[in-house]
Amino acid sequence: MSSSADAVQPRRGLARPARIGLLLAPALSVVGVLFVGGFALGVAQSLGYQPFLDGWRWSTDAYTTAWQDPAVRASVGLTLRVSLLSTVGATVLGVAAALLIHRTRRARRLLTAVFASPLPVPHVVGALTMLLLLSQSGLLSRVTHAAGVTGTPAEFPALTADGFGVAIIAEYVWKETPFVGVVVLAALSAGVDELEDAARTLGAGGLQRLRHVVLPLIAPSVAATSVLVFAFTFGSYEVPFLLGGPFPAALPVVALQYHQDVDLAARPEAMAISVVIAVLVAALVVVYLATVDRFVRRVR
Amino acid sequence: MRRSVGVGVLVVGVLTPFVPLLVWAVSGRWRYPSLLPQELSARGARLLAEPGSQVLSGLVTSLTVGAAVTVLALAVGTPAGRALGLYSFRGQRLVRFVLLAPAIVPGLAVLLGTQVFFLRYGLADSVAGVVLVHLVPTVPYVTLVTAAAFANFDVGYEQQARLLGARPLQVLRHVTLPALRPALMVAASFAFLISWSEYVLTVLIGGGAVQTLPLLLFAYARGADLTLAAAVALLLVAPPLLLVAAVSRRLPRDHGPLVGLGRL
Amino acid sequence: MPTPRLLALSAAALGLLTACGGAEAEPGPQTRTGGWAAVLGEARGQQVDWYMYGGDETLNTFVTGFLADRLDELGVTLKQVRITDTVDAVNKVLAEKQAGRDEGGSVDLVWVNGENFATGQQAGLWHCGYDRDLPNAAYVDFDDPAVARDFGVPVEGCESVWQQADSALVYDSSALTERDVESVSSLFAWAERNPGRFTYPAPPDFTGSMAVRTFLYDTAGGPSALDGTTVDEEAYGEASSRLWDRLIGVAPSLWRGGETYPSGQSDVERLYGNGEIDAFLTYGPGAVGDLVARGVFPDSTRETVLSVGNIANNSFVAIPYNAGDQAAAKVLANELLDPEVQLELFRTAGIYPAIDLERLTDAERAPFEDVDLGPSVLPLTELTADTQPELAAAYVTRIEADWKARVLQR
Repeated sequence: MSSSADAVQPRRGLARPARIGLLLAPALSVVGVLFVGGFALGVAQSLGYQPFLDGWRWSTDAYTTAWQDPAVRASVGLTLRVSLLSTVGATVLGVAAALLIHRTRRARRLLTAVFASPLPVPHVVGALTMLLLLSQSGLLSRVTHAAGVTGTPAEFPALTADGFGVAIIAEYVWKETPFVGVVVLAALSAGVDELEDAARTLGAGGLQRLRHVVLPLIAPSVAATSVLVFAFTFGSYEVPFLLGGPFPAALPVVALQYHQDVDLAARPEAMAISVVIAVLVAALVVVYLATVDRFVRRVR
Repeated sequence: MRRSVGVGVLVVGVLTPFVPLLVWAVSGRWRYPSLLPQELSARGARLLAEPGSQVLSGLVTSLTVGAAVTVLALAVGTPAGRALGLYSFRGQRLVRFVLLAPAIVPGLAVLLGTQVFFLRYGLADSVAGVVLVHLVPTVPYVTLVTAAAFANFDVGYEQQARLLGARPLQVLRHVTLPALRPALMVAASFAFLISWSEYVLTVLIGGGAVQTLPLLLFAYARGADLTLAAAVALLLVAPPLLLVAAVSRRLPRDHGPLVGLGRL
Repeated sequence: MPTPRLLALSAAALGLLTACGGAEAEPGPQTRTGGWAAVLGEARGQQVDWYMYGGDETLNTFVTGFLADRLDELGVTLKQVRITDTVDAVNKVLAEKQAGRDEGGSVDLVWVNGENFATGQQAGLWHCGYDRDLPNAAYVDFDDPAVARDFGVPVEGCESVWQQADSALVYDSSALTERDVESVSSLFAWAERNPGRFTYPAPPDFTGSMAVRTFLYDTAGGPSALDGTTVDEEAYGEASSRLWDRLIGVAPSLWRGGETYPSGQSDVERLYGNGEIDAFLTYGPGAVGDLVARGVFPDSTRETVLSVGNIANNSFVAIPYNAGDQAAAKVLANELLDPEVQLELFRTAGIYPAIDLERLTDAERAPFEDVDLGPSVLPLTELTADTQPELAAAYVTRIEADWKARVLQR
């Protein structure tokens, strides 16, 4: 029962384009200057532009250096692996949790509140808790020691400061599962029950209902949140810095490290890495959304 | 039966990471491999109250930055949300993409290139610069949430109020904003939470001179005394949890804003 | 800062008028007291932003408590800006210089030495010529090579000394015997018998760099083999290849099998506190006492100097050329040299004094000798018995780069 502003003719005041323009102006200038401008500056600096410094020249050397840099190559592998695994983990667990909570009758509000409690926790805190829990002298290791499974810290698997990124993935999954879950839960509450009942009356079994009723309904939410999770985990700094080791380090960690190097020759490489991060994330998001779009249309 | 096991696993999985945090914050001596601290200590709590520990000034700085970012993000993002939610115009998809892109593309990657310019124009090392840079991740979320709300908003009410003689500002105050209240609360919460938790952008532009709580915690988390780190972490976590609890109590049961998030 | 600026300007103007002769922007040695009174006057109402490593909690408490109170009495506000690596502060001044910000810089004072000082010198970042004019400079022995040269780079009045760092090995006496910690060789042999219980932070961390250099001194027979301010390729090549072989050889016996190294000294200290390793090298042996007292380190913690000797250097404070509150920075630099401050620093934070104790009266010196940092900390005499000087900054940078390529990224 809503009428768009177009249906209602303004009696006086600004013409429509001017009105829209004025409404969008503040946000567009903030985003335009900082985001678009920042990206442009990053690209320029990656190509050799050094503002306020004499004697710079355009060159693509930074990209070749980055490509040949062993730290960067190892970093791309780690970052991709961590982001993909975290996204898959958070998505699967988030959807499962949402379905579970939706079907729970008793104390659903309390359960939802508990489930959502990691959401407001800052990632720095999340990283610290994973450190306390998963380091070789952490709480989990002490539990296995008490159970007689490990005798020394070194016998407990290396989950922090490791080359695979286990603790990093654990932190992301812990924090992002509720994110996916809460949004999917909202989508479910918006009317899946009636549709499921209708399908059940028509003779559809549990699995069929899941595939043809529930999943298509939540597919847009799942797609959107998993995109956000992937993008976030790919570009996050503090979690891989605190929970990861010096080599390989995540791409954002390497970028900032090179940016802070006293040797200014490292700066274009830092910019090149950050441009690669931005472009990679954007490209992967486009590909993913296109694929999901096709899947959703076919399922529907 | 299977469902209660599932629920149990869920609850344990979600709440377990909080446990070591709570215990470390009050421990005095807790060496491997004991399951419980050998000694308790109040030095974590003392650190929070100590004037020289920079914890209190970090708290004040975080609150100041967070409040400023929330106000500005709402002021900037709500009109944009109105434009996207109420109207349909040519180029809308492009505008939508540009305005929401900062929520997807990592902030550090894009803003790394601006640091030199912030420095040159005197915005680095200042609260103003940090507030400005925090707008980048927050404005998209405010825009998204308010756009979803405006899409469900009946402009007819505004029109009626104008017909009855109300001035634009009165319409805003008595018709539009009250109708948008849930969405504005959610948007403000998002903006505050994002700014409150932000680390790397604050470090990049603030340069260590603007010490927010996440920066302080980061330093302690790398150190040897984990009791202090845990204490600061609890302080950092408390306001967000309180905020979310307070806001969700006041929100109506409808999940409109969150569903809007799903329509990215 | 408008109002304090106005006050400072008028005070400075007054100072200029009353001082004998033409007092310039750089205080000359004309009338020391007159010149210093002008500096004090200008500093009143200013805030000095001191960029310093923030990983030592006891030191932080000292700076924001005792030291800040002393400066308050002089009308100067002390703001401690904690950084994780000195290079961040140097970078900032460098960036400001490149951006054309030649005055009103945000960094007023930096705790610096070694490569960072050298980098700053090359780029012309430091304000110079004031260190001997500080009233408390009377307590400094400027002829001491450790004061006149910073990692081989001549100081030339561009920084003021403030603390002495002597490296030491910290170990858990319940896991290592005194024989195990006699020398680098015995330590490595112990590591091979007890794999995974020793490590060092990855250079370019300051302490990690020192650890590698300690091993290099042991391999090369001392720092004298690598002389001069530029790298002697022949001598370095020979000594370093033996060093890398040795470090790669011991790597499997280190923490995590040498596959990775902790990112920084604070991570190493956390590993020790958590019982994941039993020994580590440090530049701050004095601070260990407080960590034992707090229960973060075990009571069985002890310290020793390896047979190769330990590496001693002085830390300095430097004022950037564009510091916004230069007078306040000088006042702080001067306060740091005050015997009372040096004593309190030693007593509470375990940081060894950089002033020449011989220049104090007997009454002033006695409290230093009375300080007892506990059984876990080496007394000053033992710590300084066998000190080796640092290598030139050029060597340090080269060693760090080579370590990264040869040992870390194998």
